[in-house]
Parts: sequence; C-alpha cells; structure tokens
Amino acid sequence: MSLVSFVRVINHDYNSVKRGIKESLDLINFNFSRNVNKIVIKPNICYYYHPSTGEVTDPWFVSVLIDVLRDNFGECSDIYVVESDASAMKCKYAFKMLGYDRMARGKNVKLINLTETKSRIVDITVNNAKFEFHVPELFYEADLVVNVPKIKYMSYVKITCALKNMFGCNAFPRKYIYHKALDEAIVGINKLIRTNLVVGDGLIVSGRYTKRLGLIMSSEDPVAFDTAAAKLMGLNSRSVRHITLAFEEGLGKMNYLPMGEYSYFEENFPRWNLKDKLWKTISSVYLKVLPEG
Amino acid sequence: MNKINLGIIGLGNQGKIHLRNCMHLENVIVKGVADISKKNLDFAMKLGIKNAYTNYEDILKDEQINAVIISLPNFLHLEASLKAAEAGKHVFIEKPMGRNVEECREILSAFQKNNLKLMVGYGLRFHPVVKRIREKIMDGFFGEVQIVESTYVSSGPFSPKSNRVGPVPVPSWWFDKKLAGGGSFLDLGSHMIDLLLWFFGEVKDVESYIYYTFNLEIEDVATCVLKFKKGPLAIVNTGWFSKDFTRSIQICGTAKNLWFNLSRSNVVKEILKHVKKKIGWYSSDPYYLELAHFMNCLQKDEEPNPSGEDGLRCHEVISWAYRKAFEKIKN
Repeated sequence: MSLVSFVRVINHDYNSVKRGIKESLDLINFNFSRNVNKIVIKPNICYYYHPSTGEVTDPWFVSVLIDVLRDNFGECSDIYVVESDASAMKCKYAFKMLGYDRMARGKNVKLINLTETKSRIVDITVNNAKFEFHVPELFYEADLVVNVPKIKYMSYVKITCALKNMFGCNAFPRKYIYHKALDEAIVGINKLIRTNLVVGDGLIVSGRYTKRLGLIMSSEDPVAFDTAAAKLMGLNSRSVRHITLAFEEGLGKMNYLPMGEYSYFEENFPRWNLKDKLWKTISSVYLKVLPEG
Repeated sequence: MNKINLGIIGLGNQGKIHLRNCMHLENVIVKGVADISKKNLDFAMKLGIKNAYTNYEDILKDEQINAVIISLPNFLHLEASLKAAEAGKHVFIEKPMGRNVEECREILSAFQKNNLKLMVGYGLRFHPVVKRIREKIMDGFFGEVQIVESTYVSSGPFSPKSNRVGPVPVPSWWFDKKLAGGGSFLDLGSHMIDLLLWFFGEVKDVESYIYYTFNLEIEDVATCVLKFKKGPLAIVNTGWFSKDFTRSIQICGTAKNLWFNLSRSNVVKEILKHVKKKIGWYSSDPYYLELAHFMNCLQKDEEPNPSGEDGLRCHEVISWAYRKAFEKIKN
C-alpha cells in the first residue's frame, strides 16, 4: 500500500508552506539520505493562466519546494525546472508570463523548455495504442524526478493530476495528435519517464470554482496520488481510465494509506455536483456538435 | 449600386465570422477571399467561394470587387487599407483601425482623398442592448447621466477556449507591442471608448492607469477615467487577465441607475443563437448587423457608422489615456 499525505497550510507564507512541504514529505517517509545530484522538477504549466486561478503550478510554490530539496539534499544539487511547448502554449511566453523565469533567476535553477533540448524518439504501445514520444535526454540523467501537479478536473480525461502532468514531459510540441487516445498516451509517457516524487500544489485549487484550499499532497506513487486526488474530488478512481490503465501497467498502486488531514480536504474541496456534471456533459456535446459562429 | 461584390482579406476567427455572415446578406456576393493559411482558404472554398488567394493584392486587382473587409492583424491594417484605397475599394476594417493615431490619420485621409467609404468594426454599437441604452440616454430615461462604469475583462488573445473545444495557439504578434500597438486597453478598451464617445460626445479630460499582471510589454490591466464636455464621468475598466468574461455598462443618472450585462451568452443562449441562424434569423447578431449596415450604406451612398472619423476619435482618446498612464509609470 502506498502512502499519500495531506497537509493543511493555513497561512500561505514562506515559512508555513516550507514547513508544510517538509511535513508532507515526512508523512510519506520520503528518503532524503540518497545521493542526488541532478533534480528535475516538472510543474503544471498548461496554458497562460495566472497561478491564482489554480490552473497552473505557482512558481512561488516551486521556489519553496526548491528550498526544501536544497535543505535536505545539499546546495550542490543541480535543479532543472522543465516544461515543453504544447499545441497552444509556448514556453518562451508562459515562463515569462507566469513568473517562472524570474523565479529561476532568483533561485539559481535552470529553466528548460524541453522542446528545445535533445531528446530520444521512443515507441511505446499501451492497450494496443501505439505512440512515438520524444523523451528528453535530461530524464535519463536525472537522479530525482519531482512531479509538481495541480489537482483539478479536466473534461477529456476527468482529472489532471500527477499522471497527466507528465504528459508535458514529451518534448514533441503538437500534442493534439495524442488526443484521440489521451488516456493511453498519458500512461505511455509515464512508463517512459518515471516519477520519483509527487508534491501536489493544492494551495489554490480549481474545482467547481477556484478555492484557496491550503493543501499540500505528496506521494512517491503517482497512481496512488491520482487515486487519492480523484476520491478527494468526488470521483470514483475506477472511472478515471488513465488511473486504472496505469495501475494495470504496473506504474503504481490504487490502494493507498492517507496520511494527515484527509477528511478536512474531502469536506472542503470545491467538487462538481450532479448539476455541474450534467451541465458539463451537455455543453461538451453541444460544443462538439454545433459549428462555431 | 446593385449587389455589392465583396472581397474578404484575412480569414482568422473574425474573418471567418464575417465570411459566414456575408453569405447570408442578400445584397452581397463574396467574390474572393485572401489569407496566408491554406486551411483557412479551404474553409472558404467549402462555403462556395471560388476565388481564394494567398496574396490579398489579387483581390484588390479584381475590378469587379467594390468593397473589401480587412480582418488582419493590427500591424497590417495600415498597409492593407492604403492599398485598398489606392485600388478604389470601399473598406470595412476590423477594429482597432490602426495601431496609433498617426496610422488612423493616414488611413482616413487616403479614404477621404479617394472619396471612398470607410467603416470601423466596432460591432458593439449593433448590440441590441447597447442600442437600447443609447436610445434611453437620448430619451432622457436616466435623467442627466452623471457616472458611467464600463467593464470589459476577459482572457483576451490568451483564450483557452477560443476555438470553443480547446486551446488554440496565440499568434506571436499579440505578444509584440510594436506589432499589436497596445494591450487590453487598445483591444477591449477601444470598444468601450467608442461606445462612450457615441453616447456622450467629446472628451474634456482623461486619467488612466495601466498594469502588467503577466509581465509582458503590453498591458493586461487598464483603468481609465474620462470626463466628457457635456456629460458624465466615465470609468473604463479593461483586462486580459481573467479566465472569466465580463462585459457590462452601468449608468447612473439623476433619474435612474441601471446595470447592463453585455457578456457572452451562456450555453442556452448560444444554442438559441444557432437555431436562429439555422432558420435564417440574424436580426440580433451584432456582427451580422454591422455588415448589413455597411452594405446598405454602400448601396444607398450613405456614411457608415462608426465611420473612419469615429475610429480616429476613439484612437485619440486611447492615445491620450496611454500617454497619461505612461507618465505615471515614468514618474
């Protein structure tokens, strides 16, 4: 059984969040005594959203996490914060707009657009769906891959958390080509690039509405993380296809032990209610059926 | 003029909307379209347009064409409209008319010199609610209007649902101040300024503030206060920072205060809009109505509204507001 921690941070100031991250890692017994030289951090930068919307990982949260990692692994470790271009989002703009470039300068870490780095083209098949991914060399050299997702709903694949966040590690920019079998593609990239640690930025979440939830959620198992997140969001994790597929492919466990204040977050997450789900279904069908204009 | 032979230059989001609407105008024949994207030209050809060009000058060379719609990125407005005027075409130009006052002056004088009609696409003037507001102001329904607050806030060009099912790439010129000419204040604020000038006439004084939430060289937050010579104090709030959408006008007068929501419609309204279009009922769509107005003006040889002069006046106020805001930043 995998451990998933839920830590509540009431004040979103530097010391409280730093303490919260450390506590969250301690609750999952994360081992800091290993030898780590190169750390890759993958936040969720899906579009040009402001971090206060809860749609993208806050660069400030990443900066605090960097301090926690440096405190525990030593100052000498090389830290890379990475994202890749997507069909509609270009890193050269997003890094600037969201404040990642300023954060990287301030923390003296390397900010990398994976689309512009060297990568290997790797074929993989998941559930009879064949994919070609561009896996950046950086991941082959990394000692620790830290996945820093948001915790939010997504109409295509129900939730966007740890597993979906790794989709952005594929250096190939035109990601819409994977959308026909997105669940399989998510599992595929997770098979090629393994997450060592997930630290979810749930300080602000985007659920039914945006809410300052004060959640820091951690696990070493991305499948367990997503299973727990789905439950928190009021969904049956078995109904989230990429989670069950990831479990079947041996990427992690679907049974987990919640550590910390799970019940508080279960009560306070801004969940979609039945009306929202119905409305979402109607509008998504409508948007697909009727032409624009 | 019998039927108007029209050319459409630029088939981005707005160009496509214009093309679809033109197909339903009885007094218009779309003779040709131009765009650099083959995908967009294919879209037009599927609608039955026979002449699709990658170079817009081919449209301007076509002597059968009387008028063109220019729906290009801001930095191409000047060049395309000057060439259109030189070729003797009447023009409907998407807003903003140019990137700055100088460009607008140049465009306007080219059309005046050639005695051609120029209309600027401030489609909100044709919004049924806006029309009602203006009528009520003129009728004295509000008494003497003292304060107006207009707000236009959205994600601007960074629209995650701009093709309504998923994100589409943001063309790089939007990020470049030189090419775009300005940020949210020019893009969205120009709509509101145009309406206020239409409602209340000449501006006496301007005060403004701009801000950069997203660290770009173009502003994404702007607030401007206008004092009208014979009218109220008006506040214009604009922004590109929000994933939500608000477009509203509040009018406070000595007799009545009212708040009008001009926001994008909800799903039910959108479905109704599509049903209306299916059955050929376009009477409430501002984009359709503005084109119908332009075509009617061409047929009847009347001045379109908003005209090139209106476009220039709007830019003069925008430029004044930018100047005031930059002065504050400098100091």
